[in-house]
Amino acid sequence: MTLDLQTADTLLAGLLAETLSLGYAERPVISELSLELPRGEMTAILGPNGCGKSTLLRAMARLLEPSAGRVLLDGEDIHRRDTRALAREMAILPQSPIAPEGITVADLVKRGRTPWRGLFTPWREEDARACAEALAAVQMTEFAERPIGELSGGQRQRAWIALVLAQGAPLLLLDEPTTYLDLVHQIDVLALLRRRNREAGLTVISVLHDLNLAARFSDRLVLLGRDGLVATGAPWDVLTPANLQTAFGLAARVDPDPVTGTPMIIPL
Amino acid sequence: MRGALTLCLLLLAATLAALMLGQVRLSPVLLWQGLSDGEGPGALVLGTIRGPRVLTALGAGAVLGLSGALFQTLFRNPLAAPDIMGFTAGAGLTIIAAIALGLSLPMPLLAAGGGLVAALLVALLSQRRGHATPPLTMILVGLGIGFIASALSSFLLTLLPHTQAAEAQRWLTGSLAARDWSHVAQVWLIGALLAALALAQLRRLAALELGEDLAAGLGLRVGPARMALAGTALLLAAAGVAVAGPVPFIALMSGPLGARITGAQRLPGRMLAAAGTGALVLVVADLAARAALPGIQLPAGVMTGLLGAPYLLWRLSREMEKGEL
Repeated sequence: MTLDLQTADTLLAGLLAETLSLGYAERPVISELSLELPRGEMTAILGPNGCGKSTLLRAMARLLEPSAGRVLLDGEDIHRRDTRALAREMAILPQSPIAPEGITVADLVKRGRTPWRGLFTPWREEDARACAEALAAVQMTEFAERPIGELSGGQRQRAWIALVLAQGAPLLLLDEPTTYLDLVHQIDVLALLRRRNREAGLTVISVLHDLNLAARFSDRLVLLGRDGLVATGAPWDVLTPANLQTAFGLAARVDPDPVTGTPMIIPL
Repeated sequence: MRGALTLCLLLLAATLAALMLGQVRLSPVLLWQGLSDGEGPGALVLGTIRGPRVLTALGAGAVLGLSGALFQTLFRNPLAAPDIMGFTAGAGLTIIAAIALGLSLPMPLLAAGGGLVAALLVALLSQRRGHATPPLTMILVGLGIGFIASALSSFLLTLLPHTQAAEAQRWLTGSLAARDWSHVAQVWLIGALLAALALAQLRRLAALELGEDLAAGLGLRVGPARMALAGTALLLAAAGVAVAGPVPFIALMSGPLGARITGAQRLPGRMLAAAGTGALVLVVADLAARAALPGIQLPAGVMTGLLGAPYLLWRLSREMEKGEL
């Protein structure tokens, strides 16, 4: 009995999708998907184009209302939560956000404090501290006063991540945070998220394209195919030749990465 | 900071020039006398003609400029301004309609009503089921609504008796002729209230400016927040139209021009710069319209049209280069 209760408790601490259906009735993108993403983990959502990866992430971020089912955060339906209270619990970085013209990194990051500031709340020391920490975490402190438009793609993405880090939410959802970045910057972004995950206990859930990088930087993978969830769990359990065949129609071998020992996909 | 000072000095210079120049020229001495003692020929010109005219221009320009900058930021598009999207034309139409039908309702109410109807039409017609409306669609639909409103206004003009029609025509172009102190009080009072309301929503605007998804992630209820901001901006534009007519291009130009003059990057600075620049442009346009050709008094809207149309063309070509059109 005690064991059961404990399981129930650990299940509750995190994001839970409960028989979630997304999209329109005539054209469902995801149907009856259930998923448990515990706190403290780094999760990557993977799958071929058009399988509903982003749709699933958007639903978990409350940007999309499910046609059926629920998304629970620590056991509570996210659609029943107060918007601002939820924003203090989870932060969202959409795919390729567009910065207002001329905005500086510091001004952008400051806006991450929005859920903590009421109409008449002045800028407090804790806000300044959160921003400074976020900038330091992405190693952008020296670029604080630079306009976003003058930065490189990798730096720009780090500035956006600083914005959601400054939001101070323990859970972070990112939609393709490495798209359009070269390999060095992809690793840079994922390593930075991993560091926040290890050091600050940040729960990170992101949609990724690169399977090998996802395997290297994740505790848990969610693999979607055209007909819904293929597998979820630890990288070695998810990235099997059979699952890759089902999800992508890809014939591949999976070997241990000689550097990290994580699964490495070699297409045949 | 230096940019803000530049704008303030330009405003001061333009205001003084607008007070001194005209059919009757006032020397600085006469102006000073008029302002300080309230006596002499200066006092008469300032008290009954140019004083209210210039102050109305300042107020109307400021509310239109602020309105434009709010819309542009909200829609994240430099073409999204109430004068491009047909809102000011809608406001103008209701006022002309009231004149033609002999209704005597307060002008700001009429303008607000017309602007609101135009905005609702734009929102309804550009809506697509299940999709977010791209700003450009709304802008183009708004352009169409604006043309319809202008055409209806022109039609209503033909129904008016000659003298009245001429006056209404001037007003429709955007004119500051024959403004009195009640106009000044009206635009400044309503303008100050609405500006305060807009400033109170700036933090939400700052989040919305990052895109709807991020704004929602930052804890905003995006729909209501957008509605409240768009409503405030709409009323600001209506307040301007009510005293100066649907002067074209002020709302479109002031935001970008103000940012250029002041170098302001943060949102509050950009909004204040837009208001200041709107005031500056309208005062200068009105001065140019009445002093450029001796003996001829043009409506201010002719001048803002001459200034604004090239700006619009330049802006369009830039948007095309960026691939946004």
